[in-house]
Amino acid sequence: MPETVDQVERVVREALKVACPDIGIVDGSTHLASELGLDSAQVMDMIMEIEDHLDISIPVATIAEARTLDQLCDSVRRVVAGRT
Amino acid sequence: MNLLTKFAPLAELRAALAGHGKVPSIATPMDAVHSATEATIDGRRVLLAGTNNYLGLTFDADCRAAAIKAVETLGTGTTGSRMASGNYAGHRALEREFADAFGWPACIVFSTGYQANLGAISALAGQGDYLLVDADGHASIHDACKLSAASTIRFRHNDPENLARRLERLGEDAKRTLVVVESLYSVLGDRAPLVEFAGVCERFGAMLIVDEAHSFGMFGPKGLGICAELGLLDRVDFVLGTFSKSLGGVGGFCVSRHADFELLRMASRPYLFTASPPPPVVAATHAALKRLLNGDDLRARLWGHIRRFYAAVNQLGYRVGTTDPGPVTALVFEEREAAIALWQGLLDAGIYTNLMVPPSTPAGLNIVRISLSAAHSEADISRMIDALGKLAGQLQPAA
Repeated sequence: MPETVDQVERVVREALKVACPDIGIVDGSTHLASELGLDSAQVMDMIMEIEDHLDISIPVATIAEARTLDQLCDSVRRVVAGRT
Repeated sequence: MNLLTKFAPLAELRAALAGHGKVPSIATPMDAVHSATEATIDGRRVLLAGTNNYLGLTFDADCRAAAIKAVETLGTGTTGSRMASGNYAGHRALEREFADAFGWPACIVFSTGYQANLGAISALAGQGDYLLVDADGHASIHDACKLSAASTIRFRHNDPENLARRLERLGEDAKRTLVVVESLYSVLGDRAPLVEFAGVCERFGAMLIVDEAHSFGMFGPKGLGICAELGLLDRVDFVLGTFSKSLGGVGGFCVSRHADFELLRMASRPYLFTASPPPPVVAATHAALKRLLNGDDLRARLWGHIRRFYAAVNQLGYRVGTTDPGPVTALVFEEREAAIALWQGLLDAGIYTNLMVPPSTPAGLNIVRISLSAAHSEADISRMIDALGKLAGQLQPAA
């Protein structure tokens, strides 16, 4: 469902902007913690932003291994796929 | 790159909080403690306004006498788990006293407050169950979720609607869900909308556990906490608490209106695989609990201090973390340096408080946390207000 895939990445990037308003262009391989400096609380804020936009619940364990933007998108896609 | 490399960013934070030749603001060394409200730091006597000693019971004569007697008659420790050689009469009596106070059938005492959260939450929700936790919950709650085999989902802080949406998405599984909230959040001092949370849990058939670590002893009839104050003891399933705040010891408890909660003794790993609380701690806690249940004088005195201090701080123009006055007053700053400057200014004036900075604070805020005690005198409160007044002009609180 390509539309959903695009929607996931768009929502994740929007949530990232809420967490990091001054952020510039971010590559999919950008490391959320070591490169963007996001702490665990900021990442969790991002997750809740994504949940509200996509109307899904993301178990903490699902995103625990996600280190980069691409990995986070993949984790969210798995939750979306599981719901549909 | 080795195992320690990942800690390198913490060096910057430690350096910032190191005190630049003065006293460090984290892990501040206490040279000596003289009473519930006074200690020696860096060779100077200071007023303690950064503890969790809300009722000042650490130096209560009855509590100290009980602890001394227990050491002399039962020894310094149990050396065993409650399921082995560490199941003393004192442990069982303390559990009965807590359960009776709440009018509930079940109580389990744990060796620390942290372990009470770990032990109750991780055992109650297992494989195939769900934990829905407030995003601003204490680290012990989030660690309990990691220990549990349940699926953990966070909801927005103090937001019953946000919780309801998540429970709705779970469908029938909402009935296999434990919702975890605190009654009073210890960093900003804000209260949870417990009536609304209880209503949401009832609507979806979820169970509700409330951590009253920072409210037990100060709110409600006999100081039993905010759930009791709000008349929620027939709508909340479990209440968690700690001995290391109002009760002046160390340990924790979980009480429940469900008799089967007692079965967790056979399933909770943080209960099973640790030594039970030592006799002097149990005896002092029991004496403190009796003091709490048998009189309102300490609570009345503390609330007098709270009302006076909260009004003064607001009048001085500080930004306070909550509109609900309570034993914790959080002075909030956008800039870390401003918070450090106030913390240091207060210490220079002979008043010890707590400095809290991100990532251990909500919303990335920098906080000077001031906590009051029934053991403070009116003169102590005046001293705090005067010091904050003098420093108010030199600092720029967050808008």
